[in-house]
Amino acid sequence: MERRNALKTLAGAVGGLIALPGWASGWTAESVRLATPLLPADQVETLAAVVDTIIPATDTPGAKDLNVQQFIQKVVADCYDKPTQDMLSNGLVLTNDLAQKTFGKPFNAGDATQRVTLLKQLEQSTDPAQAAFIKLVKPLTIRGYLNSEYVMTNLTHYEFIPGHYNGCVPVKK
Amino acid sequence: MANFNIDAQALNTYDAIVVGSGISGGWSAKELTAKGLRTLVLERGRDVRHITDYPTTNMQPWEFEHRGQLTKDVKDANPIISKCYAFYEGTEQFFVKDAEHPYVQEKPFDWIRGYQVGGKSLMWARQTQRWSDFDFTGPARDGFAVDWPIRYADLAPWYSYVEKFAGITGNKDGLDTLPDGEFLTPHEWNCVETHFQKQIASKYKDRHVIMGRAAHLTSPKQIHYDQGRAQCQHRTICERGCPFGGYFSSNSSTIPWAAKTGKMTLRPNSVVHSIIYDEKKGRATGVRVIDANTKQMTEYYARLIFVNAAALNTNLILLNSISTRFPNGLGNDSGTLGKYVAFHNYRAGISGEYDGNLDMTTDGRRPNSPYIPRFRNVYKQETNFLRGYAAGFQAGRSSDTDQSGMGADLKQSLLNPKLGGWHVGSHMMGETIPKESNYVALDSSLKDPYGIPQLKIAIAYDDNDEKMIKDYQEQMTEMFQAAGFTNIRLRDDKRNPGLDIHEMGGVRMGKDPKTSMLNKWNQLHAVKNVFVTDGASMTSTSTQNPSLTYMAFSARSVDYAVKAMKKGLV
Repeated sequence: MERRNALKTLAGAVGGLIALPGWASGWTAESVRLATPLLPADQVETLAAVVDTIIPATDTPGAKDLNVQQFIQKVVADCYDKPTQDMLSNGLVLTNDLAQKTFGKPFNAGDATQRVTLLKQLEQSTDPAQAAFIKLVKPLTIRGYLNSEYVMTNLTHYEFIPGHYNGCVPVKK
Repeated sequence: MANFNIDAQALNTYDAIVVGSGISGGWSAKELTAKGLRTLVLERGRDVRHITDYPTTNMQPWEFEHRGQLTKDVKDANPIISKCYAFYEGTEQFFVKDAEHPYVQEKPFDWIRGYQVGGKSLMWARQTQRWSDFDFTGPARDGFAVDWPIRYADLAPWYSYVEKFAGITGNKDGLDTLPDGEFLTPHEWNCVETHFQKQIASKYKDRHVIMGRAAHLTSPKQIHYDQGRAQCQHRTICERGCPFGGYFSSNSSTIPWAAKTGKMTLRPNSVVHSIIYDEKKGRATGVRVIDANTKQMTEYYARLIFVNAAALNTNLILLNSISTRFPNGLGNDSGTLGKYVAFHNYRAGISGEYDGNLDMTTDGRRPNSPYIPRFRNVYKQETNFLRGYAAGFQAGRSSDTDQSGMGADLKQSLLNPKLGGWHVGSHMMGETIPKESNYVALDSSLKDPYGIPQLKIAIAYDDNDEKMIKDYQEQMTEMFQAAGFTNIRLRDDKRNPGLDIHEMGGVRMGKDPKTSMLNKWNQLHAVKNVFVTDGASMTSTSTQNPSLTYMAFSARSVDYAVKAMKKGLV
């Protein structure tokens, strides 16, 4: 019964950057609507701006277009403990405060450069609350984005069936 | 009214009763019905019908609310089952929740169960190696447990019989430690696995790396199409139930096959309380069943009783089957019932990297991996521990995506993943030694929700296991180094017994009724019409996965039982 554990070991060995098998991930905007929202409306707006800053719309939709903010709310509400839920909420407040200090506007009113700079600042922050907030939100944003129907269907071409396994194929240059 | 009971008794009487519908129960049911016996199959859990009752099998990754992750409520409520690798958002419905069937952990034991039609055959990892004569002669040679009453030759034709029907993929490797079977096309190797295989073959005479043998239809035959099954689609989400029947399960194979005979009555939600022993007739006459919904007790009667409740629950049922003749459990003249339970040691693993073959990669998914058969203490005792271990092995290449950026840069790197290097990994599967001190018993006061005594489990690792872990790590490190693997890391996850899901014994087979429960036909020495062909019957545990052996024992035992019944012997 251990094959999957071996896979997990492999995943661990590369620092968690492995592409997880399809079953391990996935959501749709429809499936993640919360009965009772975790965050107040203004914080959801900030969260949407944060995920849109982490993965913006370019010639393809960004994280906000794919409702990643909703996925994050849902996962944090259902799968994480109260301190983490509070940390998400407090982090959004912190982010707005920092935005006011740095560029004199709420976070979502900043331009792309201002917002990216601010989130990078959070990543390097020595303040535990700031660092923990971005450490939670960024991987969840990446997960929600990469496992969205849009990205899996149109950009990464996930194939459910027929599956196959070719053991030795040349690396595409 | 006088006739009512007689009618009820007639209505509840069958030729045979099978307790349990998992891998071994499914086979018992198939074989009994094929031989024309009206067979009642009792399953304590709910019905799970092939395809229609696999709610997540066709869900796309993005359709899971929490991308597969378990919610905090589920994890908090289920600390035991949450440890199981196959338990996630897509499979929650197939595992027994911790509160559903409480038990007493006299020593830490993670009991992993699937209560539904099909049992754990729905979620198993599908490795199906034959056991070899080294496994069946081991106890006699090493002096642990008791001698098996059979040898490999007794089981070989039955292995062939079940393999052809179940559909087993594998390669004919010609090894005496792992006899060849009736194989469908083997799965493909990747470059680094082939590299490892060649390096090991050139450096060791007695160590082999082979492709795993697994219950997958890689190249289905007519008999599989006749079951309504189709080729494996390499989805690697087997534990959700496979709508193609691409892997073997009771649900896709043996149970519907038995149903087709018109001889099977399947009764889900039927918790077996005990087996009824008739002192005058000197045999078992039926079973007592508690309806899981109504909690009403009903008796069912039959000439033959096959107990296939899965190892520990089979022990529980026999222990709870008390009569004047058998005050310590049905057929328990030897006093060995519940004792000499053993399992497989999965604690240790190893990982590494390989910087060759960088021009090649893999494409797709494979529901199987290479396997290293036991090489320790095979021909002679050569270490300071008894028995040995097999090992899984696999290599893979993954995308190492740079996630350090932010904004458009990050998006760019996420959508253009870079191919990382090769990663290799292995885990051990060690044979643990059956000991009297590893036992299960009934708790004297605690009851389960049906009023049945809770099972008390006292099973632990010993010094032999610790030495074996050390040896696996040393030998595997040497083998990884020999293959040029680098960045080698060892792990011992110190997991509890039970999480291996290979618990066996307690109703062991043996030649001597004084020291064993079952004879060479899996028949209770003392109660000739009761047969046990699941993991409970195993005298020792081998280093191989046990499921295929349960299948072979079930088919063989039914064949004997029906012949014996016709001769009036049972």
